[in-house]
Amino acid sequence: MIKHIPVLVQVSLLALAVLLPLLKKNKAAKSKLLTILLLAVSVAFLLISLIDVQQNGAFVYNFGNYESFIGIQYSINAFSTFMSFFVITLALIIMIFSTKDIDHEIAQSSISQYYTLVLILLFSMVGMIYTNDLFNMYVFMEILSLTSCAIISIKSKKENYLAALRYLVLNTIGSLSVLFGIALLYMVSGHLNMTMMNQSISMIWQLYPTNILIASGFMLTGFAIKAAVFPLHIWLPDAHSNAPTPSSALLSSLVVKIYVFAVYKLLFDVLGRNIIISLGIPTVITVFAAAGMLFGSIFAIGQKDIKRMLAYSSVAQIGYIFLGLSLMTEAGLAAGLFHVVSHGLMKTALFLSAGSIIYYRNKRDIRDLDGIGIEMPVTMVVFAIAALGMIGIPGTNGFMSKLYLSFAVLGAGQPLLLGVILLSSYLNAVYYLPIIISAFLKEPKSKNVTMQVEVLPFPMLFSLITIGFLCLLTGFYPTLVMNFITQAVNLFLS
Amino acid sequence: MNDFLIDLANHINYIAAIALFVIGLYTVLTHSNLLKKVIGINIMETAVFLFFVSIGFVNNGNSPIIDLGDLGKIYINPVPSSLILTGIVVAVSITAYSLSLIIRLYQAYGTMDLDEILAMRSEVNHD
Repeated sequence: MIKHIPVLVQVSLLALAVLLPLLKKNKAAKSKLLTILLLAVSVAFLLISLIDVQQNGAFVYNFGNYESFIGIQYSINAFSTFMSFFVITLALIIMIFSTKDIDHEIAQSSISQYYTLVLILLFSMVGMIYTNDLFNMYVFMEILSLTSCAIISIKSKKENYLAALRYLVLNTIGSLSVLFGIALLYMVSGHLNMTMMNQSISMIWQLYPTNILIASGFMLTGFAIKAAVFPLHIWLPDAHSNAPTPSSALLSSLVVKIYVFAVYKLLFDVLGRNIIISLGIPTVITVFAAAGMLFGSIFAIGQKDIKRMLAYSSVAQIGYIFLGLSLMTEAGLAAGLFHVVSHGLMKTALFLSAGSIIYYRNKRDIRDLDGIGIEMPVTMVVFAIAALGMIGIPGTNGFMSKLYLSFAVLGAGQPLLLGVILLSSYLNAVYYLPIIISAFLKEPKSKNVTMQVEVLPFPMLFSLITIGFLCLLTGFYPTLVMNFITQAVNLFLS
Repeated sequence: MNDFLIDLANHINYIAAIALFVIGLYTVLTHSNLLKKVIGINIMETAVFLFFVSIGFVNNGNSPIIDLGDLGKIYINPVPSSLILTGIVVAVSITAYSLSLIIRLYQAYGTMDLDEILAMRSEVNHD
């Protein structure tokens, strides 16, 4: 029974997505309730599956008992169980926030459709984490790109249509590059199952180095467009800032990271570390990652809209993840994956608190935020925790991931990159600190403001406090996350 | 020279696939008409599908219906063709969604030209 949990969770997400449009009365309220309940149950079951893999070891799940060279296969191991648990938990927190916030953002009639889309989005994300089959991954990727555009365009404004269309066009170019790469790899290896591809590629790669280099070039470019690696990030600011707040949080903290996992799978499960290093791929990734870390922050400094600033900050943070990946050492990969988790938590906290400010005071411009910390103390404390994490102040999870990354960079013998990390942290401080300072230390513009806890709806306050607490928890006890990540990295490098 | 031409003729479907891919990409990147961008994406999709299906082709191969009586027969690889059926479904849904977005944009702005839409937006921002 326990070995079917990942598939059952996925099937139930899809089933509920199909059932929600069939509801008759009270569509919106019922959809919210059912989605939250299903996600809560899924979190519990995925936790059971995570514990089971820790105790009894990893295994592969063959669909319909077909053999692995024709059938679709899921690999259920320390990496996939932990990451799917993380994704669904974070999605649950965001969805609890969305129950009140979404009423303000989209039309009442499309709320039920919104939850349908979110469920399909989560379905495809979980699928991409588990799958051990390259073409299956492509199919999930297409579902993911369609639904992630749809949760932007559901807010029926003309900016959203344009942002969604741009995102869709670039996403499709990315998907097609990936499919082209899959075709080239299939030519070389004759398999689509990742394990079997890895076996045949490691035997014959010296015969077809150009073929594999072109294939990995196409696939990495495709994933880089989708993961918004600098300079392919141009779709991201519009898409993430115009979307409804829960969608922004989902897109920025989870969807982009799924493509990072896809890159990990491609490089280490399909090709293998030795082949990548001898083809010279890591150097290329390092250059783009370092450029992204600096330029993402520089663009963010000039922004006036708070959500747009957060979107540009994501570009910089993606750079950190790819920098860890490009080191190709155990510590580097672990630092990259740790930053996936900690950036997911911090960005969710930032987007949710920015969304609360927009909900409560309808302020989007950074210059209007003077004294907002007095009007909304809880929201701004959560914002401050996450913003300090982005800068890298000790006690937050952002500090821990920067510490891991710095040690990894030094361990790989590239002290120059440490300078890039420090410079990027400094740039983060340039645009996050002024907000915190003006929120807490400046006089509010309207005089009659008294210090009191803001009257936000309970679900929104609950998710804000939970996510702020999780940021601090993983900052003080990073080993909670790091234990699982070390196991995952060992899987990738074995 | 002659050998080169024969090689070229034997791999004509791969070359055509790459050419179509580049034509499609060029159309997407250079045209400001949104409908033409979608057409460009469709050309790119066709290119990748052609490439994928060509991989499975075997010279003088039969259609893959296994005939146990004749063991000497060669069959073409059916896997790429069946994968591409899935790919076509995905392509259709992306085209449908992007066309519906273009209709909404046309209703909102009265034009399908990306440059004109961006010009209108920047005017609004300056006011």
